Amino acid sequence: MELSSLWDLVIIGILRGGMYALMAMGLALVFGVMNICQFAHGEFYMIGAYMAVFALKVFGLNPFLAILLAMVGGFVVGVLIERGIFYPLRRRSQEEWVMNTFLLTVGLSFVLQNLALLIGKARYRGVPTYWKGTIRISPTMGVSVDRVIGFLIAIVTIGIFGLFLRRTQMGRAIRAVSQDERGAMLVGIDLDKIHTLTFGLSTMLTGIAGASLLPITQAYPAMGAGPLVASWFVVILVGLGNVGGSIIGGFVVGMLQTFSYYFLGAGWQDTVSLSILILILLFKPSGIFGTEVKGILER
Amino acid sequence: MLEVSNLSSGYGHLQVLWDVSPRVSEGEFVALLGPNGAGKTTLLRTIAGLIQPWTGEVKFMGKQIGDLPAHQITRMGLSFITEDLNLFTGMSVRENLLLGAYTRRDKEKVKDSLDYVLDLFPVLAERQNQLAGTLSGGERKMLALGRGLMSDPCLLLVDEPSLGLAPKLVLLVFEALQELNRRGVTILLVEQNIGMSLRIADRGYVLEQGRIVLEGTNADMLENKHVKEAYLGIKRA
Repeated sequence: MELSSLWDLVIIGILRGGMYALMAMGLALVFGVMNICQFAHGEFYMIGAYMAVFALKVFGLNPFLAILLAMVGGFVVGVLIERGIFYPLRRRSQEEWVMNTFLLTVGLSFVLQNLALLIGKARYRGVPTYWKGTIRISPTMGVSVDRVIGFLIAIVTIGIFGLFLRRTQMGRAIRAVSQDERGAMLVGIDLDKIHTLTFGLSTMLTGIAGASLLPITQAYPAMGAGPLVASWFVVILVGLGNVGGSIIGGFVVGMLQTFSYYFLGAGWQDTVSLSILILILLFKPSGIFGTEVKGILER
Repeated sequence: MLEVSNLSSGYGHLQVLWDVSPRVSEGEFVALLGPNGAGKTTLLRTIAGLIQPWTGEVKFMGKQIGDLPAHQITRMGLSFITEDLNLFTGMSVRENLLLGAYTRRDKEKVKDSLDYVLDLFPVLAERQNQLAGTLSGGERKMLALGRGLMSDPCLLLVDEPSLGLAPKLVLLVFEALQELNRRGVTILLVEQNIGMSLRIADRGYVLEQGRIVLEGTNADMLENKHVKEAYLGIKRA
């Protein structure tokens, strides 16, 4: 294999990894802070994509504004769902929390998918391209501008979000809740507020991913399945609830899939990823960067 | 400042506290003493809002706080330093301290409190950027105390600060508490280290099997026959 095509593969892997990282970060956050195994994550990706379609076709907004709308929309829908479903459950009983919320998210995923089917019909909706043109990244390969901008959006979002978590008092509060709930309450943090905020932020990140990739994956009701599996793969790989690790993991998975696609052919990328996942879990059950996860055993 | 009246409380079906009514006035240093399993921690948890009272009431600064959640009680100026400290171990010492001031918005005053805490515990100043989880036992206690002080509380509940510390460090922590009290913070201290607690406190309660069996000033307590025999190991012939 020539060096230049290896280079191409790395670039494609990184471009792909940006979005995985974005989605996995949201998943890790919700697990770390709320102990929810989110299986409706893919549906928020779908909602983001539909919102972008809506913004483009109905309002005729430009792509950046469409993605912005999907971001806000993702946040609002997430907040409503948290307040409507998880908050009442937490109030009523926290027994078997992990299992109950897991089942809830699976149910939610069905409901959201079928709502999309009802409203959007079983049709692909999308746009051929956000931004025209390709960028030549090596003598042998060009990448569409859409992919590059999508990647940049992912990177900038991850960067801003990282700063938010580290530098602001609210971000610190989110991390505090994930590290010690009782400690968080005792310094005066309202857990309910932080839970709602965290859920909304996680669905917001996913919404951004869905909207930015619209030219590449068109919107349709079941579109969330692939990204869901990929982001769960990342999160399990690096260790549940590890937000920083999930960023690195996103790129690792992007790379892994691209390489197996190239060397083994289409359809093999999931087999390879999952085989590696099984191997890692066999030897290090808590994931690559895994540490102990808060409260998972006692709930 | 803190008025607890006829309080009963516990976990699930298990009643731990039976009709207790301790009080703490402004500026006081009160020690709550008793053996393991007497309900001392449960009493503090109930006051701080981590568990709800079954019957009876808790009044703080003249307001009923019995049914308020913990974060609102913290907002009112009560700070609870738990036995297991509940530090944010994955965050730096500085971040832990800043989170202690979560309820406050005035940046200048938060900065003042930070300086105050770092001045009180110089070792924390040296380790500001270290993760809290990497601190030694004594440093953790100081960080927990420091974090509790960052909210500028009027009442500090401290649960077993001597637990697991070397005697020298126990002395250090107790001196810090005494210094805080001198600077105007009201303190309710839970301890098993009775001799030492009575030496620094103004007043004490003895809790046994969920009931207050004795109360009095530290001088009275030190002279009390029951205290002497059961806790200080002094037996008169």
